[in-house]
Amino acid sequence: MDTGESVRITLRSIRAHKLRSALTVVGVVIGIASVITFATFGASVEAEIVGDIETSNAGNIYVFGTPSGDDDFDRTLQPVFTEHDIQELEGIAGVQAVLPRGIVQTQSVQHGNQTLARQQVTATRPASFTPGVLVEGRSFETDEEAVVVNERMAGSFSENLTAGERLTMTMPDGSERNVTVVGVVNGTRGEVPVSEFARQPRVYVPIDPFYESVVESPSAGVRQRAYPQVTLVVDPREIPETQSAIQTYLTGASDARSLSADDTELVARSGNDFVEEISDVIERITRFVTGIAVIALVVGAIGIANVMLVSVTERTREIGIMKAVGARNRDVMQVFLVEAALLGTIGSLLGVPLGLLVGYGATRYAEVTFSLAPLWMALAVGVGVLVGVVAGLYPAWRAARVDPIDALRHE
Amino acid sequence: MTEGEPLIAVQSVRVAVSESANTTVRVDGVSKQYDLGGTVTALDDVSLDLSAGSYTAVMGPSGSGKSTLLNLIGGLDTPSSGQVVVNGQDVSAASEAERADIRGTEVGFVFQTFNLMPRLSAVENVALPLVFDDWDRARRRERARSLLSEVGLGDRTDHVPSELSGGQRQRVAIARALSTDPALILADEPTGNVDTETGAQILDLFDDLHAAGNTFLLVTHERHVAERAERIVHVEDGHIQSVEDVSGGEH
Ligand SMILES: Nc1ncnc2c1ncn2[C@@H]1O[C@H](COP(=O)(O)OP(=O)(O)OP(=O)(O)O)[C@@H](O)[C@H]1O
Ligand SMILES: [Mg+2]
Repeated sequence: MDTGESVRITLRSIRAHKLRSALTVVGVVIGIASVITFATFGASVEAEIVGDIETSNAGNIYVFGTPSGDDDFDRTLQPVFTEHDIQELEGIAGVQAVLPRGIVQTQSVQHGNQTLARQQVTATRPASFTPGVLVEGRSFETDEEAVVVNERMAGSFSENLTAGERLTMTMPDGSERNVTVVGVVNGTRGEVPVSEFARQPRVYVPIDPFYESVVESPSAGVRQRAYPQVTLVVDPREIPETQSAIQTYLTGASDARSLSADDTELVARSGNDFVEEISDVIERITRFVTGIAVIALVVGAIGIANVMLVSVTERTREIGIMKAVGARNRDVMQVFLVEAALLGTIGSLLGVPLGLLVGYGATRYAEVTFSLAPLWMALAVGVGVLVGVVAGLYPAWRAARVDPIDALRHE
Repeated sequence: MTEGEPLIAVQSVRVAVSESANTTVRVDGVSKQYDLGGTVTALDDVSLDLSAGSYTAVMGPSGSGKSTLLNLIGGLDTPSSGQVVVNGQDVSAASEAERADIRGTEVGFVFQTFNLMPRLSAVENVALPLVFDDWDRARRRERARSLLSEVGLGDRTDHVPSELSGGQRQRVAIARALSTDPALILADEPTGNVDTETGAQILDLFDDLHAAGNTFLLVTHERHVAERAERIVHVEDGHIQSVEDVSGGEH
């Protein structure tokens, strides 16, 4: 039987029961819209966070120690990567820069007459500040009594810090160091990937003369500076090879290995590893929440099945007529399946824009950039039609099996 | 009347289907039982032939099995035993899908209660059998329109059944029965739901269609309706009691 005709018969039947059909469609709309809402919101959050990380950190490899079985990278980090390790890492093929990072303890940071207590001060190399991250001024140089601050830090004082101004740092022993702010940055090369909104106020200082954590290097036999974390900037075309070479060094002959507790794992993780990990977590959450929304869709499907069963009973006589004039069982089945599929399709066509609208509202509320989840949208429409068809299968099968004589006698 | 003298009734000799070139319907030793707690025998060893172009009426009291016989010939139902052959096709042995095709193309039904699709227009109702016979839409509509003009409803093609009178509805049903140009038209009390005058018009239309070569089998319990046919088959209690020739129509 030609589909056009079954659609025509179906549309007449739907039009004859406008309210009933509309309510059925509403069930599907709610199901599809919830799925789309959660999927788009999840995709938007993911795109936002991953996008932040990806732009600046594609070629970074982060090296740190972590207690075994715990993947949380910012646990208490021990300064185990010695100058000797840094030199060895610099020699690995594909490594373009090695950026050690250390924490310098301060009691407070003072600017003008304003004092901020317990500020995080990070010791690093000048190479951390590429022209790309500099908002104003320049990078400090090694041996310079100068600091670079990030924008959050600059904004932490009632009068914004700018390059050329002076800061006073009070060290743990009470001594004061007067330094010049030579630059303001909006991030650093090789920082641990965090999203823009997770960024903390920071002061950066050159390792010389600020950073003083030293240990005796087992391989060099002398006391050297040691750092809790090292970032390597590597050739983006050779990330996997370089990463495994770094990993081999760390677990093999490194000072860090000898200096770390046995249950500490030394890891080299690429920016992509972080991206994947974060994406994975967000995706899992999205899938879970969307899965819950699917329940709404199932309720919609039950609505369709219910209405279809009523429709089959009501139209028993019509089924008899169709059979009397030559309809095969599958023709009858087709008529009812088309009706169910049509209800599902209308439901998803209305549900998709509604879901997008609510999802857009949610992203605005959460202040993340709205991104589409086209795959989910296609899936939702497909599922809507499928829900209709599946929900219509049993009623349609019942319709097809109606005995024509009984049907013609019906009513 | 030649009561008690069955002329056609018992023909238990097996005749090959191909031999009966002029026979549109062959009913051979057909019985039909219904099991509803006890067994109801609606038809008991009935045999009947209809030749091409003939016009036969079936008469009998209520519950005698007239509709059952019609439904078996039309492939709406299957006999418990015996054989029904319509236009060379063994309806009694056909699969469900084959019977659907036979219903669609070999026979046309006209019912007492019209049985039109309530939400389809006249032209769509007439075209419905052609939908299941896989005609394309343009041809379907053209054929349906010409049939509607033939039965005098050329100006009502887009009306739905509820906008038509009983007589008009029955004419739509007749046009529908003709749509696939079937070998046989089966009418079960086609005048039962219309007034006498309208009934007469419908029977006139049957006469015209018969004259044009169509084969009719008509069920009625009204004598004057049955007399429009060439012969009357009297059924009682599931048996054919007699077959009466109505020559010249005036009896
Ligand atoms: N589906 C069925 N189930 C059980 N019994 C049935 C069924 N259809 C018909 N019968 C029985 O078969 C017998 C013949 O019925 P049928 O409908 O053929 O009679 P009819 O001659 O057409 O009567 P009427 O003039 O009242 O229409 C009746 O006794 C009826 O009760
Ligand atoms: Mg009857």
